[in-house]
Amino acid sequence: MKVFMNFAKGFINTGKTTRMVLLLFVVNLFFSIILALPMYHSLKDSFGSSKVGDRMAEGFDYLWWQEFRDESQGLERTFSPSILGKGAILNNLEGLIQMRFFRLPLPVLIMGLLYIILHTFLAGGILFTFNQDTLKFKMKKFFNGSGTYFFRFLLLLLISSVILFTLVAILDYGFNLIMDNVQKDSLSEITPFYYNLGFSMIIFFLLLFFQMVFDYARIKIVLEDRRDVLKTVFQAFGFVFRRPFSTLGLYYLIFLIQVAITIGYIFLKESIPQSDWPFVLVAFFIQQLFIFLIIWLRCLLYSSQMELYRYLK
Amino acid sequence: MKKNVYKEARLAKKIPALIFLLLFISIPFFTSPDEPLCKQIANYTMDVKLDTEQKLIKATEFLSWTNDTDISTQVLWFHLYWNAFQNNMSTFLTEGARRGRSVPGFKKDDWGFCRVNSIKVIQNPYFDDYDLFPLMEFRHPDDLNIFDQTVFSVKLAQPVEPGQTILLSIEFESKIPRPISRTGVYRDYYFIAQWFPKIGVFEDGEWNCHQYHSSSEYYADYGTYDVKITLPSSFIVGATGEHREKIDNTDGTTSHYFFQQSVHDFAWTASPSFLEYKEDFEFAPGKTTEITLLLQPYHKHLKERYMNAVKNAIKYCSLFYGDYPYTTSTCVDPAYNSRSGGMEYPTFFTGGAYFLTWKGMSRPEGVTIHEFGHGYFYGLVGSNEFENPWMDEGFTSFLDTEVYYAAYGEPLYNRMYFGIPVTFKKVKIPIESDGIASHRRTYNMDDMQRFAWKFMEGGSYGANSYAKAELMLRTLKRFMGEELFAKMIKDYSQRHWFKHPRPKDFYAVVSEYAEQDMSWFLDQLVYGSGKLDYAIGSIRSQRERKPRGWFDGEYRERAENTSNNTLYRSEVTVRRLGEVKIPVDMLIVFEDGMEVKETWDGMYRWEKFTYTHTSRIKEAIIDPEFKLVLDLNRTNNSMKRKPNTLAPLKWVSNWMLWLQHALEFFTILGG
Repeated sequence: MKVFMNFAKGFINTGKTTRMVLLLFVVNLFFSIILALPMYHSLKDSFGSSKVGDRMAEGFDYLWWQEFRDESQGLERTFSPSILGKGAILNNLEGLIQMRFFRLPLPVLIMGLLYIILHTFLAGGILFTFNQDTLKFKMKKFFNGSGTYFFRFLLLLLISSVILFTLVAILDYGFNLIMDNVQKDSLSEITPFYYNLGFSMIIFFLLLFFQMVFDYARIKIVLEDRRDVLKTVFQAFGFVFRRPFSTLGLYYLIFLIQVAITIGYIFLKESIPQSDWPFVLVAFFIQQLFIFLIIWLRCLLYSSQMELYRYLK
Repeated sequence: MKKNVYKEARLAKKIPALIFLLLFISIPFFTSPDEPLCKQIANYTMDVKLDTEQKLIKATEFLSWTNDTDISTQVLWFHLYWNAFQNNMSTFLTEGARRGRSVPGFKKDDWGFCRVNSIKVIQNPYFDDYDLFPLMEFRHPDDLNIFDQTVFSVKLAQPVEPGQTILLSIEFESKIPRPISRTGVYRDYYFIAQWFPKIGVFEDGEWNCHQYHSSSEYYADYGTYDVKITLPSSFIVGATGEHREKIDNTDGTTSHYFFQQSVHDFAWTASPSFLEYKEDFEFAPGKTTEITLLLQPYHKHLKERYMNAVKNAIKYCSLFYGDYPYTTSTCVDPAYNSRSGGMEYPTFFTGGAYFLTWKGMSRPEGVTIHEFGHGYFYGLVGSNEFENPWMDEGFTSFLDTEVYYAAYGEPLYNRMYFGIPVTFKKVKIPIESDGIASHRRTYNMDDMQRFAWKFMEGGSYGANSYAKAELMLRTLKRFMGEELFAKMIKDYSQRHWFKHPRPKDFYAVVSEYAEQDMSWFLDQLVYGSGKLDYAIGSIRSQRERKPRGWFDGEYRERAENTSNNTLYRSEVTVRRLGEVKIPVDMLIVFEDGMEVKETWDGMYRWEKFTYTHTSRIKEAIIDPEFKLVLDLNRTNNSMKRKPNTLAPLKWVSNWMLWLQHALEFFTILGG
């Protein structure tokens, strides 16, 4: 009940700050456009004046992609048929869980790092906004909040990164040792498959868990103006461990909504033929709506968690 | 008296040998109700016992070999392939290590070998056998590697004259290796291939008997295999040829009798875990073969997919390359970790499957068709895989895609996520894509015609032997015309069944059907490493200049422009960016819909085509019917005057979604 009540409060609060969500969406769009421009030119140069362009407008020319892939370098390497629909989401899920994002081309990695730092900066503004009595989004106050908490949040980012990567590296090492034996002893490919899947799920839920704990650390910093970042982290862990059902319940409720939205998006996106301008525009609109909703959900998560923290405290 | 007793004793001792000899000689003629399909040159009768405790094979091999050449020989050469796995210094493993194939953690019992204990000439049962064992000599014809014992020779007391047959009795034992490549034992799964002393091919006055190399396969003469395999009764057995009899012995073992004429190898498998399925399949009116499928229990749900793949392979291969002549075909689903998947032996082959597979994915069908298909260009057409690997692997790669696409259509692009294959229904894989990527990466490393172990690297061996040869055949098919090519390839196949064709034989058949010497075409691809890349260099359309100025003393002013008489001078520049020269078609399309077709011989590096017409050029395409499948850059084969503006925007927006999601998603890493 606590979960749903605070979820509802968070939902209302986020609804009142749609302009803030819009700002975050624009930031995301802006970052993406910076890399989309060179990609656009690469594609245009590759098939723009060829008949391949017609085929790519109609569908996907696999032969062209083979050529493009074989000759591509840097950013272009990220273009593949698997960016279509569900592939885009699955690529990212795999990139995150199996830490394959390290193999992404440097421009994407740099942009990703900058985006995470910026997200750290903006998180202060988001939580500051949700901590106001009147939930009216004001740009100045938002950035004031962002600036106020930035260095503490940055320290949180460093701590979480160190903990996460160390933990994942240890787990990965251990898992590889286990897998060597599993593969040797297995009678079929099915056992290693389940081991792999299980390991991926452990990593994924660990990542989500850490995100949640550090969310509460951020919330504590904003609500209680905490300066001792490391101590706050420990207290955030304590908070989550003392109230696992509420905190995890709320987190996974929003996580499930995100999964549902993602499935809905995939279904919708894959049913659009995209062979004509109007369809391409419709598909683009749906894509942006999807991203907007994902960002909206992130804000909803902050807002609901803040409400839950207040409630449980 | 004493002497007579001695003689009688000797004779009595020889009686079993005499009976055997008579039986053995008669095998090719009386054992099968059918006539052999070809000359039976190397005939093997083997009595094999599998010791599952020791992982050992003990066997007696009776070999009758006929010198089918015009030259006599006093030496016999043999393969002992399994000695490639007896230490890490063999040629196979030395080459393999250079290519990243290692044998980590091999213990004493993991190594495998084939040891000949005796090798006797059965000249005449009344006289002592002539034992060649002391004369055995290991040979290293390819690399002088003294540690390699995969080839040996024996010197005979008397030469084997042309047409003469020699009979040998060979005792050998083979220690079954832990699987390194293609063969071995893994748990209770035995895959036994290249496991017995096998005579080389005597041709042109010398022995063609190469060492076992990391990237080479095999070459042998045709004959009859009559093999008795005795092993624990719990084992299900599959092998080359007909499973004629199964006799349970009193000691808990069972003897399985396999027989096959007109093949050049014999392999077998055994495991108590196999699920065995048999079906008679009528692939053409009145023509039936028995399919045996030996499936791993965890792939039971793939039974129909495997079975249908074998049926499609038999049906379409019979149609394209001649009716399948054998009465059996056995497909083995290899055990996990056995490294025996995707290999071919006469009437017997291994597939390969992953327990998760969906409609539209080419596994297990692709590999099943490929390995069955080897039955044609390795099995029936006895190509020399050591020396002309493309004549088997390339032809079979061509065969498998032709059969796959005929039977199943275009497969879907798929990718594995967390071990789960995901298909992309909007991305179909066209037949022309098969092999082109690997050819693009390695086209200038080697010529296609190289001995299998002499390619610069494993990738080049694969790309040239499999991919380039397939692409060459597909190009040839479209260049000659599909109907003519279909007749040609079927004729080439059937004409060389049970023979050992060389590249020149293929050239001859192609030239015969094309009614011209096709060396100019084939030489560039078989013995060359040039690139095939035609491109549209530029297209221009400008208003035709009106005469203006002094002409023969008469001054002309600029003529009035009217919409009716506007003429455009258009120019198309085509370029040959690679070294390979093949005449190529062109299609020029004008804005008013008029089409002009041209043919360019491609001899010089470029050519310009000019037109004067009432409308501008819309687009120019070189090779519009996509005949030249070997063309490494297909994108530059066409040019439009007005580029498509939708496509890059459409695709960049799709890509951008991935990026936007990635940026947002990876913030999880920030905690």
